[in-house]
Amino acid sequence: MFKNNFIIAWRNLAKQKMYSIIKIVGLALGIAACLLIALFIKDELGYDLHFKNGDRIYRVILRINDGDHIWQISTFPAPVVSAIKSEFPEIEEVGRMTGLVYFGAGSNDIRRTDKPDNIFEEGFVYTSQGLLDIFQPQMIYGNLDHALDGPETMIISKRKADKFFPGENPVGKTMILNNDRKRIYTISGVMEDPPRHSHFQYDFLMTLSEGLYPGEETNWNSQSSTVYTLLHPGIDVASLETKFKKLAKKNAASLIGKSEGPEADDLIAKITYRLQPISDIYLKSEGISDEFQHGDIRFVWLFGMIAIFIFIIACINFINLSTAKSSKRAMEVGLRKTVGASQKSLINQFLAESILLSFLSFSLGVVLVMFLLPYFNILSVKELVFPWNEWWLLPLLACAATFTGILAGLYPSFYISSFEPIAVLKGSIKRGCKNASLRNGLVIFQFSISIILITSTLVINNQVAYILNKKLGFDKDEVLLIQGTKSLGDQVTSFKNELLKLPDVKNVTVSDYLPVSEMKRNSCGFWNEGKQEVDEAYSAQLWGIDHDYIKTMGMNIVEGRDFSPEIAGDAEGCIINKTMARQLNLENPLDQTICTSFASWHVIGVVEDFHFESLKENIGGMCLTLGKSPDIVSVKIHTKNMSRTVASITHVWKTIAPYQQIRYSFLDERYTMMYDDVQRMGYIFNMFAMLAIIIACLGLFALSSFIIAQRTKEIGIRKVLGASVLNITFNLSKNFLTLVALANIIACPIAYFFMNRWLQDFAYRIHVRSWMFIVSGGIVILIALLTIGLQTIRAATANPIESLKYE
Amino acid sequence: MIKTEDLKKVYTTEEVETTALNNVNFEVRHGEFVSIMGPSGCGKSTLLNLIGLLDNPSDGRYYFLDHEVSRYSERQRANLRKHNIGFVFQSFNLIDELTVFENIELPLLYQKVSSSERKKRVTEVMEQMQIMHRKNHFPQQLSGGQQQRVAVGRAVVGSPRLILADEPTGNLDSSHGEEVMKMLLDLNEAGTTIIMVTHSPTYAEYGHRVVHLFDGHIVTENLNGKFHV
Repeated sequence: MFKNNFIIAWRNLAKQKMYSIIKIVGLALGIAACLLIALFIKDELGYDLHFKNGDRIYRVILRINDGDHIWQISTFPAPVVSAIKSEFPEIEEVGRMTGLVYFGAGSNDIRRTDKPDNIFEEGFVYTSQGLLDIFQPQMIYGNLDHALDGPETMIISKRKADKFFPGENPVGKTMILNNDRKRIYTISGVMEDPPRHSHFQYDFLMTLSEGLYPGEETNWNSQSSTVYTLLHPGIDVASLETKFKKLAKKNAASLIGKSEGPEADDLIAKITYRLQPISDIYLKSEGISDEFQHGDIRFVWLFGMIAIFIFIIACINFINLSTAKSSKRAMEVGLRKTVGASQKSLINQFLAESILLSFLSFSLGVVLVMFLLPYFNILSVKELVFPWNEWWLLPLLACAATFTGILAGLYPSFYISSFEPIAVLKGSIKRGCKNASLRNGLVIFQFSISIILITSTLVINNQVAYILNKKLGFDKDEVLLIQGTKSLGDQVTSFKNELLKLPDVKNVTVSDYLPVSEMKRNSCGFWNEGKQEVDEAYSAQLWGIDHDYIKTMGMNIVEGRDFSPEIAGDAEGCIINKTMARQLNLENPLDQTICTSFASWHVIGVVEDFHFESLKENIGGMCLTLGKSPDIVSVKIHTKNMSRTVASITHVWKTIAPYQQIRYSFLDERYTMMYDDVQRMGYIFNMFAMLAIIIACLGLFALSSFIIAQRTKEIGIRKVLGASVLNITFNLSKNFLTLVALANIIACPIAYFFMNRWLQDFAYRIHVRSWMFIVSGGIVILIALLTIGLQTIRAATANPIESLKYE
Repeated sequence: MIKTEDLKKVYTTEEVETTALNNVNFEVRHGEFVSIMGPSGCGKSTLLNLIGLLDNPSDGRYYFLDHEVSRYSERQRANLRKHNIGFVFQSFNLIDELTVFENIELPLLYQKVSSSERKKRVTEVMEQMQIMHRKNHFPQQLSGGQQQRVAVGRAVVGSPRLILADEPTGNLDSSHGEEVMKMLLDLNEAGTTIIMVTHSPTYAEYGHRVVHLFDGHIVTENLNGKFHV
């Protein structure tokens, strides 16, 4: 019987090829989307599960409840470590780390002391021995105990050991940072590479045995360290958190500089502590600013909901397609019942059919995932792999396929198998149930979502185009940035002069203040001279540049002049931007004097406003002065052959800094990178829009085949009475297009609202224009017409006697 | 008015060829009332479909109002059809979603008759069919006889020269059947040509002539002696 069911199911699928394919492909798309999201969620939830005592490791968070806002602070003064250790016997171990760039964490040029070549590396962090004892990384060389107890010791990861000491045991060898004789580290161990699913992604763990600086271990006034604790087994975390309150006084003192008085008491009252499980750090650190990469648990929920949603809609479309074509099966049901089939056996038969379909859809869905995964990885910035080698994969997929088959097949099976044999055989069965409002609603809903997503994609893409083509007040093209030039020391000037001799080099400037974000910044309070006591300080940037900066960046002097090496007084001169002049109320800014708390300058020129931060922000005040800030050399190039020019620049670099690799990037690339997230969002919307429109079309297809099946007789009558194909096509399409038009009416205000709000993030932005709605509405109507077109025309051209024969 | 020469209709499925009509030669003149009889599957409905220009013959010639129409396209046939032929079916074939008035009005819509003219003619027909009081009702609210009267009304509203009736009384009890037959007779007397397929010898007698079909052939033609040219 079972086999018989599947044979009949297979024959039915083969008979209605087009419908079977549409059903399978539609469901497969939904399943593929759900599988991708499931992989994403599984990955997000898989962070920091590898720690040996992971269930007992907590990060210490200080919370200040300010009534309407809770501030969460994750950095503490160094002495808090010993305080925690002595105060709380519940805690087995305390450790700390700090990634402060100021003290040399982050990135450095590093080399073996016995080799001359410096290599730029990232992933430096200061780590205490206590933290090592808590995390217990797997060691390849060296002993974990006391590895970082000694001064100037360092643990490196396996990949870096392989890079710097291929085939050797590096323990006991020394490395030097930034050619700084004071920063020579002895390698005390090699650890396994940090797992990808770890929030703690560092390759160079430098010791904290003597603190960041002499006296740090007793200095309560600097919030330098992230603190981790390992609890004894069986400790109640909540009660331990309340006991931490003992530390509030000292922490308050470190935050506001005093531990007595009403202000301190007020703060102490607001302080509470939280011990955050290590496995929560990656996903649940909303509102805590730290140096780690984070996911967001809200996105996990959001994507999870989207997946369920897609799945339900895919199933409903599947159900609609099944019931729409039920009349084709009605006769079969009637006959089977007449010869003695029970409803139960018929239900089984139809369920077998939908389970078979579901298995086919799952197979296709998995194939789709294989194809889409590389693109999805680019969008989600992840390295997801399909878990082929997991034992649970196939059983899980099989269960899911069976479940989906039953879920999607249950209603159609009951519906079709309930036909009364006499009614069916007499031919008086209605083709499909009358009530189409659910189907209508679903189609409107699906199309609304599609229109919203398409409009959003248009808005985002336009904003990106606007950003990339906006006149910025400087010329970002063909500017090469050579980084790490601080190590050249005084040679940077001769490097600059050598570069200027190259034929393709137009200008060169030395300054690491650059008009793209994540570069050096320096904010100061400014006054007009003599107004320090009267006016509020105006906060603006104070950048140190050289004589060629404005030329190289292609900035525009609107008043006065550029710095000149011939005029000695320019060392006390400054160039301000128009915003600065306006904000300081300087009507004739030239020769006026402006000052900060530590120096004053006379204005020699005014530069046109240029965007030095993301377009999300308004242009702020800017004061350019002559100064040394030599970590980046910017080269303005004009060439047809960029690689040749870069090669000759590299050659110049080699002659000046033979032991340091050249590190360069392009200004326009850095600029584009600032908006990577915006562009990625555009891609994601694009993808979802395509998915939504496909699913919506399936829904419309189901609805139109249902309606057409229901109206076959009517179409026949109309044709007999003389209706032309055009009449009928128009008559049928009208209803579906009404639905799409309704979807437009619903979607436009929603899309307008959300996109307008999204654009508010940008100080410089496009406007949501009506053509965007017209285009997205037009696209959707066109796609809808194509979807229903084939069926409609087929119904309209069918010979009317075919449809009237049924009666 | 109608003349067929060697009319043939073959239905082809994947493997089987079924000859529904074979070399049918048949003529109907203006003002005639012809009944077609025959057992199930003899080709009555096929013949009616061909005469009604709903389908094209596989072979042979068909003259409709002196045009050879057997190779006409669907569009050409539709054009001839809507101006010249009215249909009455056994199962009425009214559109459930339209009212009595709208159902009768439908052919006029496709003939592009103006709105006021439509209203006038539909009202006339409804009066003639005595269903004026049911004007705004939907088909399900009517009795079978009333539904068939609407169907007849719809068939005549465009003033066709030919009415094709496919077992018009098949779904009706005898009193309602009688009623519909009377109506057809009246129309015939007013000059409309009528071709009717029926199973009932009694109703067949209403025609001037009875044509018997068997296995796709015309076997006999009886003149009822009522026909005067």
